[in-house]
Amino acid sequence: MELKVNGTSFTLDVPGEERLLWVLRDWLGLTGTKFGCGVGICGACTVHVNGAAVRSCLMPLAAVAGADIRTIEGLAATDAGGTVTLHPVQQAFIDHQVPQCGWCMSGQIMQAASFLAQNPQPSEEETVRAMSGNYCRCGCYVRIRQAVQQAAGMAGGEEVAT
Amino acid sequence: MTQERDSFDTGGARDGSTEGESEDGGAERAEPVRSAKGRWRLTRRGFLIGLGVAGAGLAVGAYFGRPVVHGIMAESMAEAEHAGSSFMQLPDDPPLWLEVLEDSRIRLSLTKVEMGQGVHTSIAQIAVEELGISWDDLVVEQADTSSKMVDGMGTGGSFSVATSYGPLRRAAAGMRSLLQREAAVLLEQPEAALRVAGRGFAVADSPENKVDFYSLAGAVTSWDLPEEEALQLKAADEYTVVGQPVARIDIPDKVTGQAVYGYDMRVPNMLYGAVARPPTLEAKLVGASAGEAAAIEGVKEIVIDVENGFAGVVATSRSAAWSAVKAMETDWDEGHLWQQEEIEALIEPAGEGGITIQREGNAAGVLGRETAITATYRSPFAVQAPLEAPAALADVQDGQVTVWVSTQSHERAKGLIAEALGVEADTVRVVPTYLGGGFGAKLDTGVAVEAARLSRAAGVPVHVGWDRREAMLHGYLRPPTKSVLSGALDGNGRIVAMEHRQGSSDVAFSFMPAFMEIVLGADFGATVGARIGYDVPNRTVTAWRKTLPVWTGWWRGLGLFANTFAVESFVDELAAAAGADPLQFRLDHLPDSPAGGRMRAVLEAAGKLSGWGTAPPESRARGVACFGSNTVVAQVAEVSVDEGSGEITVHRVDCAVDCGLVVNPDGAKAQIEGNVMWGVGSTLIEQAYVKDGRLELNNFESYPLLTMRGAPDVRSVLVDTGIDTPYGMGEPPIGPVGAAIGNAFTAATGMRIRTLPMTPARVVDTLAGGAS
Repeated sequence: MELKVNGTSFTLDVPGEERLLWVLRDWLGLTGTKFGCGVGICGACTVHVNGAAVRSCLMPLAAVAGADIRTIEGLAATDAGGTVTLHPVQQAFIDHQVPQCGWCMSGQIMQAASFLAQNPQPSEEETVRAMSGNYCRCGCYVRIRQAVQQAAGMAGGEEVAT
Repeated sequence: MTQERDSFDTGGARDGSTEGESEDGGAERAEPVRSAKGRWRLTRRGFLIGLGVAGAGLAVGAYFGRPVVHGIMAESMAEAEHAGSSFMQLPDDPPLWLEVLEDSRIRLSLTKVEMGQGVHTSIAQIAVEELGISWDDLVVEQADTSSKMVDGMGTGGSFSVATSYGPLRRAAAGMRSLLQREAAVLLEQPEAALRVAGRGFAVADSPENKVDFYSLAGAVTSWDLPEEEALQLKAADEYTVVGQPVARIDIPDKVTGQAVYGYDMRVPNMLYGAVARPPTLEAKLVGASAGEAAAIEGVKEIVIDVENGFAGVVATSRSAAWSAVKAMETDWDEGHLWQQEEIEALIEPAGEGGITIQREGNAAGVLGRETAITATYRSPFAVQAPLEAPAALADVQDGQVTVWVSTQSHERAKGLIAEALGVEADTVRVVPTYLGGGFGAKLDTGVAVEAARLSRAAGVPVHVGWDRREAMLHGYLRPPTKSVLSGALDGNGRIVAMEHRQGSSDVAFSFMPAFMEIVLGADFGATVGARIGYDVPNRTVTAWRKTLPVWTGWWRGLGLFANTFAVESFVDELAAAAGADPLQFRLDHLPDSPAGGRMRAVLEAAGKLSGWGTAPPESRARGVACFGSNTVVAQVAEVSVDEGSGEITVHRVDCAVDCGLVVNPDGAKAQIEGNVMWGVGSTLIEQAYVKDGRLELNNFESYPLLTMRGAPDVRSVLVDTGIDTPYGMGEPPIGPVGAAIGNAFTAATGMRIRTLPMTPARVVDTLAGGAS
């Protein structure tokens, strides 16, 4: 099975029905993508598949073979000199000191990054609607909302890279 | 911060007994003795052996005496009414450790775990402040059980900053003093002429004349720790780090996916485990066999121990392990199939066994004579549901057990593992990771024992991570409660008598030996928040401990949420009977005491923040509630009610808190925000119940959590009333949320809901005049 994650191609001997979440975490060691519920409710496992936010806990490996998959580990940009620039959403989550325990944050950030790529200048109501499928048990919702709105401002009218 | 620990073995370093006598530790131990001058004295050899630094005397540690720790903790815990003075055992060894590293940075090792409450940052702020060093010159490290820093309290009860503050200041100031004295000798200057400069000391008026910490640490042969009273602690008005909104040290790794939690732990050659779960509350395993599990690809080991109720599998992938455990054949004696009505009947606060925890005057007598108002409040089972499910990685090899686990108490995990495996506790090392939420759920981590059992059987490291259904069904829950409140007013609208009869199943007592009931009386976890803090001449609070077939225990704030909902809702009912404004009614009943003054300050601040007394926005209404222990909290909720759908919207919660000295104001505000969200979820959504012998829980579809759509705006203010020590912040703000929302609902509709949660169906029923 061919899998392309964060720009790197992997050939894996894994059953096609294995869920993408466990392939990322247990086969590739990309544990930044988290397990929360396994049934697509909480959003902790959100990754990008061809730029779209998907719940990796439900996604069979066979369904994403050959797709361009991006995880939290690959969201920041690294230039030719090796300098890492955080994605505007990541930077906004630091600026607003958003995470508490942090377990949901990879999913929150991937959800927000995909959302802003599609809707770079959202209203607050649109942000709330887009982010209401991601649980945060610590209750960081006020700061998540503020950070996503800030990231939209940081991104300005430009396209947000995903 | 670093997480590594392997390069550093503190060996047997410890202080003497509480009497100050040298412990008979033999040659391998540090040798703290009390000198003729009555000072704590550590030989150089003691330091070196104690720190286990290989080769040469190049590092120095400083630690503080047990009597100091005990004194501070006993004092702090005795005051910490809201979590109880016997919450957990006092530590036998200092729970903090400072050490000079080879590059002259100073390492702070912490027994407290980071689960999002920000304690690693807050505690580091305290150390940096008293050491006088810059933020970048401190290394923060999570201690594990091999550090010999025994912290029997674990991380919970909102104790971490409150109990660390005094001892850590003294330890840091003591270390600074020791190094400064040595620097004075080396630089041939009076101590007063020296200043901390970078990673060492320099002469104040000739900064090039300096010496680094590491040179100082290696230069001496013995140390006299200063007497506690001789320590020069900074005054609060000199603080430059404590009190500042310092950015949390754990956040960068949490936005890039680099933070490692128990569920993320990986080592080479590891396998994945899963364990069979009882189908009912009382189920006992009576037989098990591999069944179809052995035929599932990837299954490496099947472990059956019926006597100990254990059946599990080890496999090459998590999916295979989960499939295989379902394919095992297990026989269970299901026991009695409990129903919710039976549970609710058991929670009755009546009959024998009530323990009176507060009594002044003669409430029963007055209530019998006067026209009393009585109301009954109920709260349901609730789940902590940290988003990271229980998880541990265990490696049992060559007589040594190493376990990495998301736990709020690695010491407790160590004991449970040693007991389950039948091995000596000192062969077990438990390494706490970051926690993906705790909220009380991870004070007891059975998953660590499961991983250890399976690793021993398989002979390789085994990771066990529960799925969401297991996490919902097989931990302990917040107990259901029933509170019956009665009160009477005098002719001037003042409360003349008030009584609270409270029924709950166990919280703290679930984790304590049976004799603790005799020692403590009531379960402090179940009763926190049940007392009547208002100035009422006749008041009685009695708690009934009820035993349920459901495992109940720690949950954020313990009984605080449910009890404050009951008491503070009832105070509004009395205010209504008196025809008084709810905020003014509270102010009028505050005791004339320092505690009353602090409560007045937060009530007035919350009132001002919320615009209390002005008209709320159209179709909205406000409610107020408060709670006080060491930390005092007042909140105003602004809500609207859709009388058609029955949906309550909480638009805003304004919160004023006096938590004493604030170490990190942004962290404190984050805790307020999180507590408010917990309170809103518990008020409007969360509930669990029993049906046909099991909890009617599955995944989040049966127990949805609050989302951003239901999240109110939170505005908060930290009120300074001059308290010069920090109090707890992780739980107290959850207390008033339910009552503030309920009181606002009553202000909006004229009706009252006395049973949580306030679901749309219950709202519609209440508005139709049905039972609430």
